[in-house]
Amino acid sequence: MFKNYLKIAFRNLLKNKVYSFINISGLAIGMAVTIMIGLWIVDELNFNNYFKDKAHIAQIYQSQEFNGVKGTGPAIPRPLEFALREGYKDNFKHIIMSSWTNSRYLKYGDKNINRNGNFMQEGAPDLLNLNIISGIKDGLKEKNSIMISEYTAKALFDSENPIGKIIKVNNQDDLVVTAVYETLPDNTSFNDTDFIIPWKHYITTQGWLMGTADQWGNNSFQLFVQINDNTTMDAVTAKIKDVKKNNDKDVAQFNPQLFLLPMKDWHLRSNFENGVQTGGRIENVWLFGVIGLFVLLLACINFINLSTARSEKRATEVGIRKSIGSNRGQLIFQFLSESFLVVFLSFVSAIAIVLLFLNGFNNLASKSIVFPWTSIQFWEISLLFVLFTAFIAGSYPALYLSSFNPVSVLKGTFKAGRFAALPRKILVVTQFTVSIALIIGTLVVMSQIQFSKDRPVGYNKEGLIQIPAMSTEFLGKADLMREQFIASGAAIEMSTSSSPTTEVWSNRAGYTWDGKPEGFQEDLAYTSVSYEFIETLGIKLIAGRGFSREFASDSNAVILNSTAVKYMGIQDPIGKYMRDADTENPEPPLIIVGIVEDMVVQSPYSPVKQAMYVFDSDQNASYYNLRLNPKNSVSQNLELIEKVFKNNFPNLPFDYQFVDQEYADKFRSEERVASLAKVFTGLAIFISCLGLFGLAAFVAEQRTKEIGVRKILGASVKNLWMLLSKDFIILVIISLLIASPIAYYIMSHWLQKFSYRTNISWDIFAIACSGALIITIITVSFQAIKAATSNPVDSLRTE
Amino acid sequence: MIQITNLEKFYRTEEVQTIALNKLSFEVKKGEFVAIMGPSGCGKSTLLNILGLLDDPDGGSFKFNGEEVAGYNERKRSELRKHNVGFVFQSFNLIDELTVFENVELPLIYTGVKPAERVKRVEEVLEKMQIMHRRNHFPQQLSGGQQQRVAVARAVVNNPKLILADEPTGNLDSTNGNEVMDLLIDLNEAGTTIIMVTHSEHDAKYSHRIIRMLDGQKVTENILI
Repeated sequence: MFKNYLKIAFRNLLKNKVYSFINISGLAIGMAVTIMIGLWIVDELNFNNYFKDKAHIAQIYQSQEFNGVKGTGPAIPRPLEFALREGYKDNFKHIIMSSWTNSRYLKYGDKNINRNGNFMQEGAPDLLNLNIISGIKDGLKEKNSIMISEYTAKALFDSENPIGKIIKVNNQDDLVVTAVYETLPDNTSFNDTDFIIPWKHYITTQGWLMGTADQWGNNSFQLFVQINDNTTMDAVTAKIKDVKKNNDKDVAQFNPQLFLLPMKDWHLRSNFENGVQTGGRIENVWLFGVIGLFVLLLACINFINLSTARSEKRATEVGIRKSIGSNRGQLIFQFLSESFLVVFLSFVSAIAIVLLFLNGFNNLASKSIVFPWTSIQFWEISLLFVLFTAFIAGSYPALYLSSFNPVSVLKGTFKAGRFAALPRKILVVTQFTVSIALIIGTLVVMSQIQFSKDRPVGYNKEGLIQIPAMSTEFLGKADLMREQFIASGAAIEMSTSSSPTTEVWSNRAGYTWDGKPEGFQEDLAYTSVSYEFIETLGIKLIAGRGFSREFASDSNAVILNSTAVKYMGIQDPIGKYMRDADTENPEPPLIIVGIVEDMVVQSPYSPVKQAMYVFDSDQNASYYNLRLNPKNSVSQNLELIEKVFKNNFPNLPFDYQFVDQEYADKFRSEERVASLAKVFTGLAIFISCLGLFGLAAFVAEQRTKEIGVRKILGASVKNLWMLLSKDFIILVIISLLIASPIAYYIMSHWLQKFSYRTNISWDIFAIACSGALIITIITVSFQAIKAATSNPVDSLRTE
Repeated sequence: MIQITNLEKFYRTEEVQTIALNKLSFEVKKGEFVAIMGPSGCGKSTLLNILGLLDDPDGGSFKFNGEEVAGYNERKRSELRKHNVGFVFQSFNLIDELTVFENVELPLIYTGVKPAERVKRVEEVLEKMQIMHRRNHFPQQLSGGQQQRVAVARAVVNNPKLILADEPTGNLDSTNGNEVMDLLIDLNEAGTTIIMVTHSEHDAKYSHRIIRMLDGQKVTENILI
């Protein structure tokens, strides 16, 4: 029986090649989109699955209150480690202090490469369950050791055995390679940790770390833990939440609340608003999941519409089968088998499409997804997916076709009822509602990105480069380097800073000033900079002056941004003092010498944070900022800069970043969403049009006689085109009316997450509406004009 | 074999109700060949559809082999139909996507006959209908007469007790028409009961009895043999 059904289905497919093509290609594209999104979602949900103990690993986060607003983040103070080890060690299998992931130069022989890595405590390889390829798992025991990833080992040692070899780090520390571990996969939170150096080494060699062991207010570290099997994250959080608050009266005013953020939440749910976990990338997972299902639904609608539209052709068969003994259930099964066949063929094509475009998709989505050929689970889910799709696409046609009355069918009096086309019209409206809503959504995302890109950043990011200067070799050389860079003609100005131009690495609190409101808890972005900072970056000075060599007292000077002035509520700030409050060894008071315009440093979608810039008298910067000479080409400038650099630091590789590119990177996540949305929207429209094309062909075919008669009676091609296109255009207009308010509502909600956001302007709707109408008219016109220009005699003969 | 009493069937549209069968009663015995005649719209085809268990009467009684079947649901009717009734239509009603062999095989599939047995029985009936040489052709590759032979072959392949023929020669020329009538006679002589709706006096003469209808009622009944 099943064989018989498949045979008929195959022959029907071959007989109606255009409809078969529309059905299979539409479904194949829809399924390919769903498979790719499915793979992407699985990759997202499996993030960090590489770590065997994922369920028990967490990072310690803290929420602190500043003026009633809670800020949440993973930065914690060093003494927390000791407090946890002392009072709570029974809860943990591992307590691992870690630095942030930073780049270092690793030198072996004549190879000098730049890699990111962490300084971590001894238990890290066990916590992360590192797969040791060579060497020992306890590779962090000795202070002067280093564990490197296989990727780093290949680059530095090629085929040589790295174990026991000495790597020179940042051209100053000689560290012995104790282990090579399997490079951590892209879908892990430690994917850019290509070396691990013992924490002991970190705290004994970095000058700025002296004294941090008992500073509860210095939140400059990370702490990872693995809880014991017999406890839960919530239980441990409940125990440790007040540890910081109870240990230091100075920080208690900020009401610090510690908690464990489980590893499963790091990637997908790491956003917090006023101390409450609000999601994160999980929103994208939902968003694309919904889009994937919609695209699949659109393709299923094509199948449903074309199957039911062509029902009169299948009616006779239904009548015959019923007359010779088939019952309705058998017919339903037959039509479901047909949809299964179509869906199966589409699935095979979809796999081919996925294989063809997976690389491109990976680039677009910034992923490294591999097609899971060998995963039994994938094929099991695929089978369910095929059955599900076949059921969605096939159940309505099956119920509809099998319901025909054999008597009227066989008598030849069968005509689809007056309202038979209504469900089809509703489905077309559904398709276009989804497509138009996707167009509007994509346009809003693009306009938000453009709006934020056009936001004035408060400095001139063009023609500006930054050179990482974290090695101790740079210490005290900033002035000398500035002179040489300018003398070379490559730069017209240079300054230094303690963080890159596009990031804030440090925040400060604990100052007093005249007029500070009672109980005010400030939180200021803190950057130490050199003399020509304002000039180099091209920041607009609003009041006062920049740091100057003419004022020796500038070592205790501070510049504020205009938001800081408003935030702190200082009247006439120039000449006023900011004093270190309540500390045993207060630093000298800082005199406010200048007010600068706000610089967009962090998120381009958020308001600018209140910022203070202090003078770096030690020339101990992290970055050199160079304003390139506009008279030369960029490549000429870079060549000259490299020459100067190499003359001074022959053992360090020359590394630099363009500030405008670094800034552009801030849009990467939203741009990725926009790119994916553009592709999926394009495909949704294509699938919808494919269906419309098929329906238009069907209507033209069905009305062949009418067209012939009308032509003979004098209808022009234009009249006939109008006649055939009108119905479809009305459906698309209805879709526009439904989609516009829905899209407006959803996208207004989406925009709420950006403080700096665009308005949804009417022209977005105008573009989406006119675009949808133009595409519809083109799609339908092809068939309409073809029918309208055919010979009327031929059309009448077809009856 | 068939006993109908006061059978009624109405067709309703929004404005009017048409009576297709008006308290019709008659009986057909096993092995009979009955022709039903009458002008268009007199209710012949409606009657045939009810007799073939494709349609349900609105009133009266319909006994098939002594069993009251009026009011049976779709599933029960289809079960009874596939084992007992074969149809021959004016417009052949073959499935275009299936070959001659596959068309004839279809009723056997629905009655659950095993594949080997199906091949045997289809080949037998195709031989009998002298259409074996066309077994792999599709309907549109055959002449009208050949198509009707296939339709007859399909109607009889399950050895039904009753064959219902709705104008079986209506789309055929006289030579092909006569051949089809001869086939029906052969089947009847082999014991199959046949009820045939026809406009053709010529064809009706092949039957044992002619029932003439008008406005849903029996007006005369002529016994020919």
